Amino acid sequence: MMRVTSGTYADRLVSNLGNITARQAKYQAQIATGQRVTLPEDDPSAVRRALDLDGERGRVGQFGRNIARLKETATTTNTVMRSLSKIATRASELAVKSNSIRSADDLKAYAAEVTQLIQQAVSSSNSTLRGDAVMAGTRNGQPAYTMTLGTDGRVESVTYNGNQDVPSLDIAEGQEFTASVVGSNPTGSGPAGLIEDPRSGADLFGHLIAFQNQLLAGKGAEVTSTTAVGLQADADNLLRHIAANGVSQGRLEAAGATVTDRLQSLEGQIAGETDVDLAKALVRLNETQMSYQAALQTGGKILNMSLMDYIR
Amino acid sequence: MLGLIGTLRMGTRSLAAQRQGVEVAGHNLANVNNSAYARQRVSIQSTASNDGLSNPVGSGAEAVAIRQIRDKILDGQVVSEGGVSGSLDAQQRALKLAQSLLGQSIDRGNTGAGGTSAADGVGGGQQLAAGLTDFFNAFSSLAAQPASMPEREITLRRASALAAQFPALDSRLTKLSGQLDESLDTDLKSANALLSDIARLNGQISRTESSTGGAANDLRDQRQAKLESLSEVVGFDAVEAADGSLGIVVGGVSLVSGDVRDKTLETFTDVDGQRMIRASGTTDALVITSGRVHGTIDARDGALKDLRSGINDLAKNLINEVNAAHKDGFGLNGTTGADFFLGSSAADIRVNQALLQDPSLLQASGSAFARGDNRVAQALSQLGNKPIDALGGQTLGNGYNSIVGRLGESLSSVNQQLADQKVIADLLKGQRDSVSGVSVDEEMADLTRFQRGYQASAKLINTIDELMDTTLSLKR
Repeated sequence: MMRVTSGTYADRLVSNLGNITARQAKYQAQIATGQRVTLPEDDPSAVRRALDLDGERGRVGQFGRNIARLKETATTTNTVMRSLSKIATRASELAVKSNSIRSADDLKAYAAEVTQLIQQAVSSSNSTLRGDAVMAGTRNGQPAYTMTLGTDGRVESVTYNGNQDVPSLDIAEGQEFTASVVGSNPTGSGPAGLIEDPRSGADLFGHLIAFQNQLLAGKGAEVTSTTAVGLQADADNLLRHIAANGVSQGRLEAAGATVTDRLQSLEGQIAGETDVDLAKALVRLNETQMSYQAALQTGGKILNMSLMDYIR
Repeated sequence: MLGLIGTLRMGTRSLAAQRQGVEVAGHNLANVNNSAYARQRVSIQSTASNDGLSNPVGSGAEAVAIRQIRDKILDGQVVSEGGVSGSLDAQQRALKLAQSLLGQSIDRGNTGAGGTSAADGVGGGQQLAAGLTDFFNAFSSLAAQPASMPEREITLRRASALAAQFPALDSRLTKLSGQLDESLDTDLKSANALLSDIARLNGQISRTESSTGGAANDLRDQRQAKLESLSEVVGFDAVEAADGSLGIVVGGVSLVSGDVRDKTLETFTDVDGQRMIRASGTTDALVITSGRVHGTIDARDGALKDLRSGINDLAKNLINEVNAAHKDGFGLNGTTGADFFLGSSAADIRVNQALLQDPSLLQASGSAFARGDNRVAQALSQLGNKPIDALGGQTLGNGYNSIVGRLGESLSSVNQQLADQKVIADLLKGQRDSVSGVSVDEEMADLTRFQRGYQASAKLINTIDELMDTTLSLKR
């Protein structure tokens, strides 16, 4: 049997109490913070994984904010498209009607409405989002279109000030997305122009100005053979853009839902790495507290007794 | 035959032996709380017997020695394990400080203002991991509106906040390294004092033991305590000489022989600029394998150095990658070629002051003529997810997390080793206490035993005195 000395009792009691106190402090901190790990030393692998996951969550959260920005852009451009589509539809109606009108005054009245439609189209095309012209590509610090009026009030020309580049944003790792549309793209390559694009035969302002001029010149018959065809191409082009915009918004909705799912999943994964099993920690704290009380009681009794108590 | 006088002498010897027993028990009780003390026992031996009428007649007993109850193997183990504990203690202290200075913790309840990570993440906004995420996210937000001055200002503020963390951390870690160097000086000062004490005690022990012929128990206790203290500071080998003195050898160099401290320990700066340890009068660094000095050097040149170089590499790569992408971009006024970050390391990284003064100079655009172009801002935001060869194919964020993980692993490993070491040290101490420790119960029993022995011896003398009285009264 091992010989146990007076010092051994005291040393072991102090050592055991120290261990129990450390365990109590650990469980208390876990319960108070709800976390199993706080510092890298607690569980280096879990901390490493939690930090990686948190970095990923930060990036995914940014994708969510990018998607929200892209939705704003898509909604704004959709409004512009619908406005321009209405204008193109009205212009087409006027083209059909003007074919049967021979009176110069009636044609002039139609011409005045077409001039207004052009002005309205320019105004819509110059819509801005947070100060940036939405139809100007990346050269968006100025209105997308500048209109030149003649002395008689007719629109002589509409000039595109933007470029053919569209800004894109990340909506997922390695996945860039653009919700922007350029107003004019006469180059025949790159993003499709909403108002002017030779690939679809669209040139809304060119067709409207020609229509306006034909009406002012009293050449209603020319409208059917040339301008009406062009205006139909404009309307078709706008419809294609509206459809594409709808698809974009759908994709953004889907991407947004993916982001929400990923954030929830990441939250769960981070919780799995760092969060404490509260019930388990409470039970263990309870056990530790009981051990502490028992150690104090028994230790106190043993330390207080010796042979001295029984020798006269 | 002893006769009355001989018996009286026997009583006197017995009285002295019992008294010595009481003294030793008293000495033991006085040292009950002295952890360096080894209990002593008086050796009582029968004295030479005299020839009797038919058989030899006993002549009583006398105290022949006071023995110290020690186990040399256990003492050696305690000294050796003390060195391991000292080393691990020093490593734990240094790494815990490094962990505190790094300031990376997980606080899921923290909902600090500002960054995404601070708001939703596992850490506060003041930590590097969150700073890196916020920095790259800021460029992504800027990409959504590259010409926006508020977005530019926010991006530059986030960049400044991130950049400011590197020099602050580098400075704190450099200071910690300096403090560890200073602690080496302090440890060596106490080691040298202990070496002097051991040399002095060696002299006293050899002189005492050669003159009295017995063991210099209390001096040996003192020397054992000094050896244990020394082992906690610096690991050594001890060789006992015939005269009872101990030679102390550190890293193959003899520092104490007999009662002479041959050399002292001192620090010096090696060719790599590191503070190392050598013996006075020598040029080479000593190979120290345990003790606080070993632990301090191990932590400083191991995990702490790795942490510092990791942070430095991270800063360098951040500067290089961001500047490479930014340099080719264009500011709002078409300016180009400016660096985003100035400096070349964690110590001096900072955001280009010109950009801070005029955010329009931030080169977020890929075209000089298109303020809405976001290609460079996009490229900068995507850097957060780009594998960097210099970081072993990790992203900057993951590279930092890896640094945190490595420090955590080092500290966790030391914590575990230290916990195991505490168990070993406690077991050894318990075993040694079981051999050498003082038991109050035992000493009280001994005290009573010797007290009774003393009383009995006194009674013997009293009886002989009465017998002598009777004998002397025969003449009357």
